[in-house]
Amino acid sequence: MADVNPQDSRHTEARGPLFYIGAAGLLLAMAVEAVSVIGRHIGVPLLGAIEIIQSAILLTATAAMVSTTICRAHARVTLLADRVGPSARGALKRISALLSVLFFAGLAAGSLWLTVDTWSEFEESELLHISFRPLRLVSFAGAAVIAALFLRELFRRTGERR
Amino acid sequence: MSGTLGVIALLVLLTLGVPIGVAMGLVGMVGLMVLLGPEPAIVKSGVVLFETVSRYELGVLPLFLLMAHLCFAAGASRDFFDAAARMIGHRRGGLALASIAGCAGFGAVSGSSLATAATIGLIGLPEMKRRGYSDALATGSIAAGGTLGSIIPPSGALIVFGIIAEESIGKLFTAAILPGITQTLFYMITIVLLCRWRPSIAPTAERASWAERRAALLRVSDVGGLILVVLAGIAFGWFTPTEAASVGAVGSLALCAWRRALSRTTLMNSLAQTLRTTGMIYVVIVGALIFSVFMSVTGLAAQVEALMAGLGGGPIVAIIVMTVLLLLLGSVLDGLALMLLTTPILLPIIVNLGLSPIWFGIYLIRTMEIGFVHPPIGINLYVIQGIAQDTPLTRIFKGVVPFLAADFVHLSFLIAVPALALALPAWLGQ
Repeated sequence: MADVNPQDSRHTEARGPLFYIGAAGLLLAMAVEAVSVIGRHIGVPLLGAIEIIQSAILLTATAAMVSTTICRAHARVTLLADRVGPSARGALKRISALLSVLFFAGLAAGSLWLTVDTWSEFEESELLHISFRPLRLVSFAGAAVIAALFLRELFRRTGERR
Repeated sequence: MSGTLGVIALLVLLTLGVPIGVAMGLVGMVGLMVLLGPEPAIVKSGVVLFETVSRYELGVLPLFLLMAHLCFAAGASRDFFDAAARMIGHRRGGLALASIAGCAGFGAVSGSSLATAATIGLIGLPEMKRRGYSDALATGSIAAGGTLGSIIPPSGALIVFGIIAEESIGKLFTAAILPGITQTLFYMITIVLLCRWRPSIAPTAERASWAERRAALLRVSDVGGLILVVLAGIAFGWFTPTEAASVGAVGSLALCAWRRALSRTTLMNSLAQTLRTTGMIYVVIVGALIFSVFMSVTGLAAQVEALMAGLGGGPIVAIIVMTVLLLLLGSVLDGLALMLLTTPILLPIIVNLGLSPIWFGIYLIRTMEIGFVHPPIGINLYVIQGIAQDTPLTRIFKGVVPFLAADFVHLSFLIAVPALALALPAWLGQ
């Protein structure tokens, strides 16, 4: 599960707001869930814990997907890429970046569609009345940013080739 | 027809090196556009994205990852190996046995095959080399032992399967306990038999004193206790898997503090690594879920099922055909891609055959693990070669062959006796 590699030094990279958003969401989810477990076992349940965790995890997951794209750490099968020359490898990377742009643009379009569709319905969670509007916007923004990052990678690679 | 074309397109994209999640998601999205039209395809993709990133049950993933990274930062990685080496390292083959025990213990923390092989390899290989062990036995035992990381809960592969198959992650964790223990025992028996056959491959060594043994056991007791609480909590229903993951993460923070390893840098590094792996897995899950919707619309599973029914012979023949298919695909695809590609096609067949999806999850991950150690991909073998650079790859392949044989016997056992996976959840009333 964990990519715990003692030889991995990528974690020393600079950290920006994205990291702090994701980390804050994760620590919030951890703390709320732990308090909720203790509360349940001592007879003082924390109402709405699941709703807080859902929102926190949404922030963490979205920030994490963008972080992974920035770090170019997506899981791939490298069977072919490891066995071809530099020019063919460059071509494979450009194809990969182009397809990734299309996929995340599709996801962004779908998220935007849903956001617009449900905007006037004022969706919210049951207990804490957390509005879904900002959550849907975060999900859309995440997909759009990842599509833009892959687009930048595509043009950068095309530029490198020239 | 559209389902078959989709699978072929997916295999082509995966081979071209397109990110796994993107390849699955794009094939699914385009396939849905062709079958249902652009609007439903785009809207369904948006729904899958939002439901996945806001899904409470998936919180289990980053929280267990955080627990693993914090335990690693606390220095727990070598404790399991050290404790086992002190207890049995003096016996013939004792360090190889200790490596398997270390892989099982660390596998419970890391949940990843690669991470387990790399971590225990860094600790165990130099030690075995120093004591004059055969390089084939040393590298083979750790490459095979690393696969325990995928089956011993909490395991990332089980979590991903649970999400894709919409099965209880807690039940999957409980079901994996006995197969994980028996797999560990099968590897240990293999080492004992190898050492009896050719004693020179693993010399005996000096026995550690009881004071050293006590100290090593004491050192591993805190992280061992934490893992036990997490697993027992899930198995006995004290917590849900997400709650257990959060208890584990808080416990590992306390463990870091207890071992005086908690600093701002440690915490930040653990969080950064957790986020990166989390993002990678979320993209894969989103893509796999969209692909899964596409597969269900195509009806490919029903066609494959009809094909298998045509063979006659009932569930056993179907499972044997599936096993051969999975092992062949496992030769060219990595484990995660194999699991995500085959689950939407094979799971409905399993359900229609009257077999348990929980058993199927354990069987699938067990088959996937074999792909980690058999050529031509056998990614664990390359990880081990990266550490033992003076050992040729052919020696590592040779070393892993007896463990592969043990894997096949264990897999056959799991197929013949499904209770190996299903008895514990049933006994605990899950």
